[in-house]
Amino acid sequence: MADETLLQVNRVKLDFHTYVGEVKALDGITFNVGKGEALGLVGESGCGKSVTALSIAGLLPENASVTSGEILFAGKNLLTLRKEEMRKIRARQIAMVFQDPTTFLNPVLTIGEQLEEVFLLNPEHLAAVASERGGSKNNTKSTLSRSQQKKIAKDLSIQVLKQVRLGDPNRVLKQYPHELSGGMRQRCMIAMALARSPDLFIADEITTALDVTIQAQILELLRDLKRDFRGSTLLITHDLGIVAELCDRVAVMYAGNIVEIADSGELFANPLHPYTKGLMRAIPMLDRRMDRLETIHGTVPDLINPPSGCRFHPRCPLALDKCKSVKPELLQVAKGHTVACHLYDEGNA
Amino acid sequence: MMQGVLEIKNLKKWFPITAGLLGRTEGYVKAVDGVDLVIEKGETFGLVGESGSGKTTLGRCILRLIEPTSGEIIYRDQDITKLKGEDFQKIRRKFGIVFQDPYASLDPRQIVKSALIEPMRYHHLVQNQQEAINRAKDLMRRVGLNEDHLYRFPHEFSGGQRQRIAVARALTTDPEIIILDEPTSFLDVSVQAQILNLLSDLQEELDLTYLFISHNLSVIEHMSDRVGVMYLGKIMEAAPKDVVYRRPEHPYTHALISALPIPNPALSQQRVVLAGDIPSPANIPSGCRFRTRCPHVKEICAQKEPLLEERQPGHDVSCHFDLKLSSPIPIPESSHR
Repeated sequence: MADETLLQVNRVKLDFHTYVGEVKALDGITFNVGKGEALGLVGESGCGKSVTALSIAGLLPENASVTSGEILFAGKNLLTLRKEEMRKIRARQIAMVFQDPTTFLNPVLTIGEQLEEVFLLNPEHLAAVASERGGSKNNTKSTLSRSQQKKIAKDLSIQVLKQVRLGDPNRVLKQYPHELSGGMRQRCMIAMALARSPDLFIADEITTALDVTIQAQILELLRDLKRDFRGSTLLITHDLGIVAELCDRVAVMYAGNIVEIADSGELFANPLHPYTKGLMRAIPMLDRRMDRLETIHGTVPDLINPPSGCRFHPRCPLALDKCKSVKPELLQVAKGHTVACHLYDEGNA
Repeated sequence: MMQGVLEIKNLKKWFPITAGLLGRTEGYVKAVDGVDLVIEKGETFGLVGESGSGKTTLGRCILRLIEPTSGEIIYRDQDITKLKGEDFQKIRRKFGIVFQDPYASLDPRQIVKSALIEPMRYHHLVQNQQEAINRAKDLMRRVGLNEDHLYRFPHEFSGGQRQRIAVARALTTDPEIIILDEPTSFLDVSVQAQILNLLSDLQEELDLTYLFISHNLSVIEHMSDRVGVMYLGKIMEAAPKDVVYRRPEHPYTHALISALPIPNPALSQQRVVLAGDIPSPANIPSGCRFRTRCPHVKEICAQKEPLLEERQPGHDVSCHFDLKLSSPIPIPESSHR
C-alpha cells in the first residue's frame, strides 16, 4: 500500500463468556486503516462491528476476551498495553463517539465541565496554546496556574463547540445533558472527540438514534469536518447510504468475519461476496425500482454455535461443498478489492 | 373520484398535561392535531414522519386503542368514533394491527395457538375448537411458518418469525384494513425483506388495504401506492408516491427526502439541511407549524395556518406558497403498478 497505515487489525479472535456458552463474536478479523482515511465498517446487528470498535478503543466489557491476534496502532499493540497506557491513548489519540450520547455524557456535570476536562487532561497542549497567544505574557511553559489552565480550556471549549456548529456555545457550556436535544448532545460528543485532535476517530452508529432531518445535519457536519480533519476515521454503521456518502473504503462484516473490503465506489458498483450482493438487493433503495425485494433466506446465525467453514454457507445460494468445512480467507481479487469467499478461489473464479 | 374505504376527518388527539395535586390541566400535547386523509380500497397508504410527528398515535386512534379527542373516522359510511359496545366490536374485527416490536407484542406465556384462536373466539368467528385450529393452521401456512409452530412459545422464535406470528394474528379476524406500525424496524435488514415481501403477497391474496406507518423513507417508497407526510400532528403533503418522492411541493417533504443518504456514491444529491430541531408537540408554533425550520419562510407563515388543499387531483399540500422545488433525488419513474 502506498499510504501509510495507522491502524492494523490482525487476525483478532474474540469470545464473550456468557452463562449459556462462549459467544464467538470475532472470528479472526483483519483490516487496516490508512492515515487520513475514512473506513466504513458495515453489517447487521450482531455481526461484531461494535465489538471491533470497542476492542480498538480498549473498552471491552469484563466478559470479553481476545484469544488471539493483535491490534497495531502507530506501531504499538493495543491489546498488550496496560490500562493506564490505554487511558492515555484514549485521552489523546483515539476518540470514540457512540450511538446513544445520553449513556456517555455524565448527567450531573455540565457540558462545559465535561468538555474542559478533555483539555485539562493535556496540560502541555494548554501551555502551548498559552505561549502561542501570550506574546506579552511570560513564557513560563508548563507552569500555568490552574486558573489559567481553566481559562484556556474554556476558550478552547467554546471554539470546538462552534466547530460543531452549536449556536450560543457560552450557554451550552452551562447546560446539563438533559437540557439538550438528541442532535445537540451528539454534537457535544463529537466536540469532545475533536477536542483531542485524535489520530483515529471512531464513530459507532452515531446517527442511528436520530431523526432523518437531524441525521442530515450531523452528516453535513461530519462531511465538513472531514475537510479539515487530518486523522483517520472508522465509521461503523448498518446504513449503506451513510457509508456511500462518507467513506473512502468499506469493510463488510457478517457473523464475526470481514467478508469483503473495497473502495466504496467499487463495492457499490461491483459487490462480490454473495452476502454483500444479497444485502444490497434486499434493501429498498430510492435510486432504483423493483417489484420484489430479493431475500437472504434464514436468519443471522447464533454465534455460540456458529456454522462451520464459511459462516454464511447455510444462507448462501451459491454454497459449495467446501464452504461447509473450510473457512475462506480474504483474498485480493482486484486492486484494493478483497473478498473472503471460495467462489473466488483460484480455479473457481 | 376518491372512493375511500376509510376516511379520516379532522382527527385530533390531545393528551392533557396535568400538574399539581388536583391534576389541573396545564396544556396539551397535540400528538394528532387535525388530520384529514382518505385510504382507498386495496391500496397501501404510507404514512411517514419523524419521531413525535404523531403517526403512531394516529394509527392507534383509528383502532380506538387510544380514544381520539375529536374528529371522525368513517368506515363503510359509519363514523366509528361514535360507535359503542357490540356495534363497535363488529366493526373492530375488520381492522388488524401489527406493532413494531414483536418481542413486546406477543404474550410470552401464551403459545402461538392461543394467540391466534383467542380473537376468533372473541368475535364468534368459529363454531368449535377444531374449526379454530384449522383456521390457525391455515394462517400459519400463509405467513410462511408451519403447523408445529402453533404449539410453541414466542421465545422459541427469531425476531422475523415473531413478526410473522404478529401478522398472522392481525389476520385472524379476516380484516379488511391492516395498520402496520413500523413492522420491520426491529428486524435485521436481511430479514426485513422477507417480511416486506410477505406483506405484499398477503395483500394480493387477501385483498387487504394497508396503512403502512414508518419513519423509513425507502421502505415507505417500496411499499406504498400513496404517501402522506406528517409533521407535528398534521399531514403536510399527501399524493401518489412518485409525486411525493420526485415532485414534492411542500418544503418539508422536499427536505425530508433529500436528507436520506442513498447507497450510491455515483449519485450527487442536492441535500436540503433543515436548521434546528422538531418543536415539541406541546408547544406548536403559531401559523404554519413547519415555519420554524422552513427555508422559505415568509411573514404570513407565522400568522396564518395553511390548509391542506388539493392542488392537482390526488395531490394535497399544506403550504401558503407554490414553491418551485427541484426533485430531491434522481429516482427512476415507477416501472410497476
